[in-house]
Amino acid sequence: MLMVSPAIALAFLPLLLTLIIRYRYFFVLFYRAVLIRMWKDCVTGLSREERAFQYVLTHATPGDPDSILDTFDVWCSKVEFISNIGPKKGKILDRLLMEHSPLTVLELGAHCGYSTVRIARSLPLGARLYSIEMDQRNAAIAEKVIRLAGFDDDTVELIVNPSDEVIPQLRSDYNLERLDFVFMDHWKKCYLPDLQMLEGSGLLGKGSIILADNVLFPGAPKFLRYIRKSGLYEWRIHRATLEYSKGIRDGMAELVYQGIK
Amino acid sequence: MSTAGEQDAGLSLQEEHESKTHRTKRRDGDRQKKKRRNERRKGGTRAGEGEEDLQAVSEKRERSKRKRAKSKQETSRRENNEEEEAQLTGGKGTKARKDIRNEKTRRMEKEEVREVEENVDKGKKKQGSTKKGEKKEDGGKQLVKGKAREVKKKKHKKTSEEDDDEEEDNDKDVVRLECLSPEELEKLKEAVDERKKLIQSLRGKPWAMKKKLVTLRESQEFVEKYEGALGKGKGRKLYAYKVLMTKKWMKFQRDFENFKTACIPWEMKIKEIESHFGSSVASYFLFLRWMYGINMILFGLTFGLVMVPEALMGRPYGSMPRKTVPRAEEASAMDFAVLWDFGGYAQYSVLFYGYYNNQRTVGWLKFRMPLSYFLVGVGTVAYSYMVVIRTMARNANESGVGDDNSFNFSWKMFTSWDYLIGNAETADNKFASITTSFKEAILEEQESHKDDNIHLTRFLRVLANFLVLCCLAGSGYLIYFVVRRSQKFALDGLENHTWWERNEVNMVMSLLGMFCPMLFDVISTLENYHPRVALQWQLGRIFALFLGNLYTFIIALMDEINLKRKEEKIVKFNITTWEASLYNGTVSENSTASPVTIHPADVPRGPCWETMVGQEFVRLIISDTMTTYITLLIGDFLRAVLVRFLNYCWCWDLEAGFPSYSEFDVSGNVLGLIFNQGMIWMGSFYAPCLPALNVIRLHVSMYLQCWAVMCCNVPQERVFKASGSNNFYMAMLLVILFLSTLPAIYTIVSIPPSFDCGPFSGKNRMFDVIHETLESDFPPWFSKVFSYASNPGLVLPFILLMVLAIYYLQSTSKSYREANVELKKKLQMVISVLFFL
Repeated sequence: MLMVSPAIALAFLPLLLTLIIRYRYFFVLFYRAVLIRMWKDCVTGLSREERAFQYVLTHATPGDPDSILDTFDVWCSKVEFISNIGPKKGKILDRLLMEHSPLTVLELGAHCGYSTVRIARSLPLGARLYSIEMDQRNAAIAEKVIRLAGFDDDTVELIVNPSDEVIPQLRSDYNLERLDFVFMDHWKKCYLPDLQMLEGSGLLGKGSIILADNVLFPGAPKFLRYIRKSGLYEWRIHRATLEYSKGIRDGMAELVYQGIK
Repeated sequence: MSTAGEQDAGLSLQEEHESKTHRTKRRDGDRQKKKRRNERRKGGTRAGEGEEDLQAVSEKRERSKRKRAKSKQETSRRENNEEEEAQLTGGKGTKARKDIRNEKTRRMEKEEVREVEENVDKGKKKQGSTKKGEKKEDGGKQLVKGKAREVKKKKHKKTSEEDDDEEEDNDKDVVRLECLSPEELEKLKEAVDERKKLIQSLRGKPWAMKKKLVTLRESQEFVEKYEGALGKGKGRKLYAYKVLMTKKWMKFQRDFENFKTACIPWEMKIKEIESHFGSSVASYFLFLRWMYGINMILFGLTFGLVMVPEALMGRPYGSMPRKTVPRAEEASAMDFAVLWDFGGYAQYSVLFYGYYNNQRTVGWLKFRMPLSYFLVGVGTVAYSYMVVIRTMARNANESGVGDDNSFNFSWKMFTSWDYLIGNAETADNKFASITTSFKEAILEEQESHKDDNIHLTRFLRVLANFLVLCCLAGSGYLIYFVVRRSQKFALDGLENHTWWERNEVNMVMSLLGMFCPMLFDVISTLENYHPRVALQWQLGRIFALFLGNLYTFIIALMDEINLKRKEEKIVKFNITTWEASLYNGTVSENSTASPVTIHPADVPRGPCWETMVGQEFVRLIISDTMTTYITLLIGDFLRAVLVRFLNYCWCWDLEAGFPSYSEFDVSGNVLGLIFNQGMIWMGSFYAPCLPALNVIRLHVSMYLQCWAVMCCNVPQERVFKASGSNNFYMAMLLVILFLSTLPAIYTIVSIPPSFDCGPFSGKNRMFDVIHETLESDFPPWFSKVFSYASNPGLVLPFILLMVLAIYYLQSTSKSYREANVELKKKLQMVISVLFFL
């Protein structure tokens, strides 16, 4: 019989402690994003996004995008976890939008509207934001959040469809000639195919900016490998930490389309 | 650019050269400006975003890629520029330039002719003019070169313009040379000398590399062509032969150098690792190689002077009780499990102390076996002391003296690059680490002025040390507990327990030695020290851990030795009664054979604590080695494979994010090596096979770790230079050497050897073998002298004298060091003054 003595098992205690301390942020994230969510889902019977919207509705000032964003941040860092872009990385996004003041913006993955509001508030006059969301329920909430923030149909257009269906139709259905700014924050696996689809559609012109969130954690290695190889872009990674968490490293990839030289 | 070229053409050679350098400078300046602008932009954006962890691996990779791409673009742009320039000027510009040059040559020729004439008239004045030319530095050189070219051209004109066959041409040149006037010959000689001088001083010239290369090649060709020609007739041939031979000789020397490098074991491997991972990782491998060399010598001593003589000339296996497996163990003596624990046939062999016989001389050589055993035991330790101290002294000379704090930033500025790095990624890491070190230094400087939250930091540091102490105490207690348990198991009889329980001590020690440093590392993030200070703390803590573990183990062994010695007394008493019963002729239980011939396997024997100690050490070494290798395979290789191949189908990026690849842990590996060596020093007196085992271990781990580093580790995020750390390792090795010889010496001096096993059996103490030799092998006067010399009245003054000598030497070295520091300060002053000028 193979009996491991308790002393040998005790010798593994330092290893266990090391792992727990070193990866504590991941355990906390797991607890907040998965366990609490499941528990609340069972208790309230609402989806996570609906709970967030209820909180925002009761705590934020309608028509004020800043207040709505702040309320979202408070909810996500204090109550539950939703993978929005977050305040820190959001600043990078804001700055890019301010610098380039794009006129046509495409957002892939609106989720519950946080990033949509964030983008819309930094846009110049006359600019238009197309936001794509696949999930019906999330899209409904996003719609409500956007209207709550005071953006009308002319500024923000929410498209409820999977991104791989919408992108080829953008030119024909929405009379788009060129996209100045693309923000990706949907499924990490879709980053690469959607990027290639955008290239194929011819909507990207020289100087178009593509910003992809969460390229390090959860991470989109294929996407990164592709942009390293393709040579179509000038690119850099903005380092930051994961939204509403201190110790997990994450980054956003900023791509500037250069076209074929 | 084209106009510039034409202007150039109009100017003299010298001016052309100057303007060229200006142009390149201007271009360089532009490029630098551009770069700076880029960087500023980058820096600005970064600062604006408030990002953290700038130096993480993947971004570095990405940054390097970008940089490479940029530089490629830049070079291509430059090339384009140059091409354009060439095209623009190419049409007529170059032609014009050529024409003008021709004109110039003609003019210069005229001048030269005039000069020559003057020379004829005035003799020595010409040399003065050339010297003046030389003093004009660059331009002067250019002029001289021009002259040389003129000379060449002249010759070409003289030899009927045949360029197709160089050899012929050369010959004709030479033929013609003989017809040249002595002045011209003189001139030629001078030109050759000029060229030679140029070649020698080329390295120090502030020119572009390309220009240097071109000049070098031209000058070499020139010298080659005309040097041989300058000799005459037979002398010329001899000269050519000599030149040929020197060239061959130089080539041979170069090849021999290469051969010598190839002969140094693992040199190329270590260089490759150095280029990939920086010198701190390479320093570990250098240390490993050095250790291997020492162990080879230890192995040579024990193998050649102890094991081989006993195996060849000593009494064979089975001839006496100590050389025979006892009857009770015979059945299982060849089982693998038993052999793996170094019991059975392995225990009763030359590998362990107990096998050796106490007969004074063995074989026809009259080899003094016990004496040799003792002297080799002492000699290995003495040799190790000598080597370690000598290496330390040599390293101490190399490491700089003085304070490194006063000119912190300029030191960082000028000395932080590691010139041995040859890998792009490592260079990026180094770049990032230098940047961060600058940042940290600036922060430190700022923080030294304001001390906010110092209490929190202090509290955290105290807390961290408290945690580490708890951890150390816990691990010490665990080992103590385990050793106690194993003693209980040993009393019960080991056969009743499982393999796990039997090897518990070694397993627990290895596991604690592996995992506790990781915990320390995590705890040390609390302290917020500078990396270098943190590394020192980490090394100190691991050192304390290993030392505690080792000494707990030794104390437990001491307990066991005392137990065995009690057992031995009982056995001794039993044996006398057993012998008495044997000679009385009464039938006893344990001997069935006739009283005259008893098989040695049946003779009862004592527990031989020396062999037990040796076995314990060998087992410890084996389990330690196994743990190291298994950790390497699982922690590095398996992890790398998983990360690499699971990354295709995983929901987050494994390479950049959470598990990532492992880094090479220099401090842990070095300390592991040092403590391993300590165990070898401690145990090799009782188990002569230990150096051999260690040589095998080091050999395998050299290959295995080289492979593992290159195949599954990534360069450290903090690449720091290893200079000065070598002596730190050596100091630790010295401490360990001292601490490991202490118990060995204690056992040798204070515990009487077993009565029926080992080379010193029957003696009261082990070192009695020296007395015995002195008495019986040397003439009586020698032992008399020795006894006088060992008189305390003589020894004490001698020791006093030595202490005084040490004190004197130390004080002189101190004063030298102070003088050195003074000189260094003066030098720095001079340098700073030069800077301001």
